[in-house]
Amino acid sequence: MEVDDVPLDDKAKRMRDLLSSFYAPDPSASAPSFPATHASLDAINSASFDPDQYMNLLVQKSSLEGLLQRHVEMAAEIKNLDTDLQMLVYENYNKFISATDTIKRMKSKIVGMETNMEQLLDKIMSVQSRSDHVNTSLFEKREHVEKLHRTCNLLRKVQFIYDLPARLGKCIKSEAYADAVRFYTGAMPIFKAYGDSSFQDCKRASEEAIAIITKNLQGKLFSDSESIQARAEAAVLLKQLDFPVDSLRAKLLEKLEQSLVDLQLNVEDISSASVDSSDPSEQRNASMPIPSNAHEASVREFAEAICAYRVIFPDSDEQLTQLARDLVSKLFETTEQYVKNRISSADLLHVLGIIWTDVLLMDGVVHEAVLRDHCLEAARMVVKQYVANTFSHLLHDISDALTKAHIEQKDGVEKDSLQVALEASKKRVLQGSMDVLLDFRQLLDDNLELLAKIKDWIIDWVQGGFQDFFRELDNHFILLSGRNNSSSHDQVLAGLVLVLAQLSLFIEQTAIPRITEEIAASFSGGGIRGSEYGPAFVPGEICRIFRSAGEKFLHLYINIRTQRVSVLLKKRFTVLNWVKHKEPREVHMFVDLFLHELEAIGNEVKQILPQGVRRHRRTDSNGSTTSSRSNPLREEKLNRSNTQRARSQLLETHLAKLFKQKVEIFTKVEFNQESVVTMVVKLCLKSLQEFVRLQTFNRSGFQQIQLDIQFLRTPLRETVEDEAAIDFLLDEVIVAASERCLDPIPLEPPILDKLIQAKLAKTNEQNTISQ
Amino acid sequence: MQGGSSGIGYGLKYQARCISDVRADTDHTSFLTGTLSLKEENEVHLIRLSSGGTELVCEGLFSHPNEIWDLASCPFDQRIFSTVYSTGESYGAAIWQIPELYGELNSPQLEKITSLGAHVGKIKCILWWPCGRHDKLISIDEENLFLWSLDMPKKAIQVQLQESAGLHNLSGGAWDPHDVNALAATSESSIQFWDLRTMMKTNLIERSHVRNVDYNPKKPHVIVTAEDESGICIWDIRKSKAPVQELPGHTHWTWAVRCNPEHEGLILSSGTDSTVNLWLASPFSRDELTSETLVDSPTRQPDPLLNSYSDYEDSVYGLAWSSREPWIFASLSYDGRVVVESVKPFLFRK
Repeated sequence: MEVDDVPLDDKAKRMRDLLSSFYAPDPSASAPSFPATHASLDAINSASFDPDQYMNLLVQKSSLEGLLQRHVEMAAEIKNLDTDLQMLVYENYNKFISATDTIKRMKSKIVGMETNMEQLLDKIMSVQSRSDHVNTSLFEKREHVEKLHRTCNLLRKVQFIYDLPARLGKCIKSEAYADAVRFYTGAMPIFKAYGDSSFQDCKRASEEAIAIITKNLQGKLFSDSESIQARAEAAVLLKQLDFPVDSLRAKLLEKLEQSLVDLQLNVEDISSASVDSSDPSEQRNASMPIPSNAHEASVREFAEAICAYRVIFPDSDEQLTQLARDLVSKLFETTEQYVKNRISSADLLHVLGIIWTDVLLMDGVVHEAVLRDHCLEAARMVVKQYVANTFSHLLHDISDALTKAHIEQKDGVEKDSLQVALEASKKRVLQGSMDVLLDFRQLLDDNLELLAKIKDWIIDWVQGGFQDFFRELDNHFILLSGRNNSSSHDQVLAGLVLVLAQLSLFIEQTAIPRITEEIAASFSGGGIRGSEYGPAFVPGEICRIFRSAGEKFLHLYINIRTQRVSVLLKKRFTVLNWVKHKEPREVHMFVDLFLHELEAIGNEVKQILPQGVRRHRRTDSNGSTTSSRSNPLREEKLNRSNTQRARSQLLETHLAKLFKQKVEIFTKVEFNQESVVTMVVKLCLKSLQEFVRLQTFNRSGFQQIQLDIQFLRTPLRETVEDEAAIDFLLDEVIVAASERCLDPIPLEPPILDKLIQAKLAKTNEQNTISQ
Repeated sequence: MQGGSSGIGYGLKYQARCISDVRADTDHTSFLTGTLSLKEENEVHLIRLSSGGTELVCEGLFSHPNEIWDLASCPFDQRIFSTVYSTGESYGAAIWQIPELYGELNSPQLEKITSLGAHVGKIKCILWWPCGRHDKLISIDEENLFLWSLDMPKKAIQVQLQESAGLHNLSGGAWDPHDVNALAATSESSIQFWDLRTMMKTNLIERSHVRNVDYNPKKPHVIVTAEDESGICIWDIRKSKAPVQELPGHTHWTWAVRCNPEHEGLILSSGTDSTVNLWLASPFSRDELTSETLVDSPTRQPDPLLNSYSDYEDSVYGLAWSSREPWIFASLSYDGRVVVESVKPFLFRK
C-alpha cells in the first residue's frame, strides 16, 4: 500500500499543478520557482521544460528497454490527462446550465413586487395624519393637567414645611435623627428662599428642633456609652447639618487616640494576666482566652471606628496611618517592657500572636500604613531583645547558683556546700542551656507568620547568643575569681575558684557538645550573616576558652592555697632567730597548722574533683612505721655527720644528686583530688626548703627542723600521690637546713622517735577530747 | 627546644646566690660572682667570656672572708665592687677593690676599701649610682635606707642620709635609671618609692610578696616586679592601682627579674623551680590591650614566653644581663653553676 501511495500522491500533486497552471493568470510566474539546473526527469511540468533537451537526455541516459518503458508510461499518462480534462469540461458545463436556470427564475418573481410597495406607502401616510390629529386635539387638556399637577406638588411641599416642626419633634422623640436630618436638609432650599417671609414661624420652629437634634447628636458623638459605629453615624449626620467639621474631626481623632490608650491598657492586662498565671500553667490555659478575646474585640471595634472615620473624613489617611503605626509601636513598646521581665517563649508567642492578629486587623483597614513591615521590624527588635535577655537571665542564674553557695559557705552552715554549688551550677548550665534552646525552638516551631519571616534571624541570634553567652560566662568566672577581695575571703574564694575550675571543665567536656548537638539539630541554617563569617556559634573556640580557663582556675586555686601555707611558713621562719634556737622539745605547732590546711584542702577537693587513679600508693610501703624509715641511706649519712664529716657532706649531697635521677617536682596538674593535693604539698615543701635556705641555724635549730620534717613524713605520704617526689623534697629540706647550719649534728634516732611518739599521743588525745 | 645546651657553663666550688655584670669593663663581657658557704672559705670569681664567646674563663679568684648574700659591681671602675655578707650571726657590707693582677691566679687577698658600718640589722643589698661616675651609694637593710657618699682617694665613706622605712621589713630595691633621685624598695606588703633628696616616701603600690624589682631602662615610669603570687607584674608607677600586664612567672616562686638594657620589653626571670624564663612583654598600654581582647578571638595574642631555660639542677637566684653585649645573660643556680646564654635566636622572631 505504501509503495502505491507514493506514486498516487505524486500523481495527484502533478494533476493539481497542471490544473493550477492551466487556470493561473500567468503561467510563466510559476516557472522561476523551479531551479533551471533542475533539468531532471521530474521537471517535465515546469514552464522552462525543454522537450528536445529532455529527449536527448533520455536517449543518452536510458537503454532501449528503458526508453520503451518510458514511452509506454508516458502514453498512459497522456491518456489519463485527457480523460481528466474531459471530466472537468463536463462539470463546468453542468454548473453553467444550472446558473442560467436560477437567473431566469429570479427575473419572473421580481416583477410583482413594485405594486405592493406602493400600497404600503399609502397606508403609512394615512396613519401619520391621523396621529397628528389626535395629538392636536389632546394638547390643551394635557397642558391643563400638568398645571394642576404642579400646583398639587407645590401645595404638598408647603404642607410638608408646615408639618416639618411637628415631624422633627416626632423624630427627636423616636431618635430617628437620620430621618430628621434628611427632612430638614430637604426643606433647606425653601427656607433659604422664603424663610424670612411666609414661613418664618415654620423656619424658627424647625431650626429650634434641629438645634435640639444637633445637641443630641453631639452628645451622642461624645458619649462613651454609645458604640463607635453609632457615634460615627452621628458624625455623618452632623456633617450633613453643616456643623463645623474640623473641630468634630479633631475631637473624633482625639477619641480614637483615647481608645488607643485603652487598647494599651488591655495589652498590659494580658501580659500581667499571663505573668500571674505563669506559675500554675493549667490555669493559664483557662484564663488566657478571655482577656485576649476582649482585647481582640476592642481592637476590632477600633478598626471599625477607623473605618468609619475614614468614611466620614476621606482625606485623613495620613493621620490614620500615623495612628495605626502608633498603635503598633505602642503594642511593641509594652511587649518590650514585658520582655524585660522573665517570660517563657510561650508567653512571648502568645503576645506576639495577639499583636499579629491586631496588625492583620488594622492592616485590613489601613493599607497605606504598611503595618506588616512595620510590625516585622518591631517584632525583630523584640525577639532579638528577648533572645539577649534570655541569655542574660541564664548568666544571672548561673552566677546566682555560684554565689549563693558562696554565701552559704561563708555562714558555715553546710559542709558539702561546695559540692552543692558545683552540682547546682552544673545543672544550671546544662539544664538552663537546654531550656533556653527548647524555648527558642518553640519560637521557631510556631507557625505564626510573623515569626516565620524572621526565622533565619532567630537562628543566627541564638547561635550568636550562645557564643556571646559563653564568652560572657568566661569573663564572669574570671570576675568571680578576681583577686580584689582575696585578702578578706580567702577561704570562701578558694572553694569558689575550685568550683569554677571544675565547672569550666564540665562546660568544655559535657555542656558544649550537648549544646552543639542540639543547635545542629534544630538551629542549623540561618546564614543571614553571610557565609564569609561562618556560623555564629563556634564550639571549638568556646571549648578552647574553657579548657584554658579550667586550667587557669585550678592553678589559681593551688596558688591561693599555697599562698596561705606560705604565709604560715614565712611567719615561722622570719620571726625567730634561728641562730639562737633552743633545744627542740616537741614538734613545732606550725606542723599542725600545715596539716590542718592540708586537711581543709583535702575536704574541698574531695567535694569537687573526681578521684584520680592512684599510681603507686601502698605498693612499697605497708604502713607508717616502715615508711618512716624508708630512706635508711640518708639517715645513716646524717647520723654520721659530725663536725669532721660536715666538711664533706656538701660534696656528698652533690654526688648523691648526680647519681640520683632528677626528680621532676613540678609536673602537670590534673583534674583529680590527688594531683591537686600533691601539687599543693610539693609547692609548700619547696617553699619550706627555700625559707630554710634563707636562714642560718645553730644545732638546735637544725634539729628542730629535722624533727618537724620527720613528723611530717608520715601524714604527708598518706595524703599524697607521688611519694618519691615528696620524700625527695622532705630530704631536700633537711639537707638545706644542714647546709645552713653552723653545727649540723642531727638528733639521735631514739630521741627523734620519742618526741614524735609524744606528739602523736598528744594529737590523739586532743582528737579524743574534741570528739 | 628546652634544655638550653647552647649555654656555656662554669662551676663554682660552693653554693652561690649572686652574680653581677661588670659594667665598667668595656673591653670584655665579664661577670662577678661570689659563693655562699657557711663553713668554707668563700670566694669571689671574676669570669670573662672568651672573645669567641664559646667558653668562660676565670680571670680572677679571690677569697672573701664571709658568705656573700649580695654582690654589685661598681659601674665606673671594673675593679671595685660591693658585697653584703653574713657571718652566720650578723651581717656586714663592704666595698672591695680587686688588686692589680700580674698573671697570677692564686687567691690574692681582696683589698677592702671600706665597710659600711652603720648597719645593725639584716642588710639586704647595696645599690650603686645607676650610671656613670658618682660617689653615691645606697644600702638597704631590713629597717633602714642609707645614702652614702664614697670618697675613693681617701678610702672613706660616710652616711649622708638615713631614713627608717617603718614597720615593714624591706627586702630589696632598685635605683631609677631615669631619675637618679628616685628609688623603688620592696617590702613585705608594698613597693615603696623614695625621693632621695628628701628621703621621703613619694608613692606606694600595695602589693604583698614582692621579691624583686627592676626598672625598665628604656622607658621611664615602668617597673617590673617578681612576686610569689602572680609571677611577674609590669607596672606603670603613675597608675599604681593595677599592673599594666601580668606574666605567669614560674611554677614556684619567681625570685629575680631583669629588664634587658637595650631591647624594650625583653624580660628575664629566674625562679625556684630551677628555670630561667625569657619573656617578651607586649608594648601596648592596658587600654589598647583590653580593646583588643574584645575582638581578639581569631588572632590571639602571641605567647609572651619566648623560651624557658630549664637546664638547672637547683633554684636559680642570680641573674644578670651583660651591658656590653645585651643579648647575653648570666644565670647562677644555688648549686654554684654559672650558665651564660645568648638570647639572639629569640630576638628578632616577632
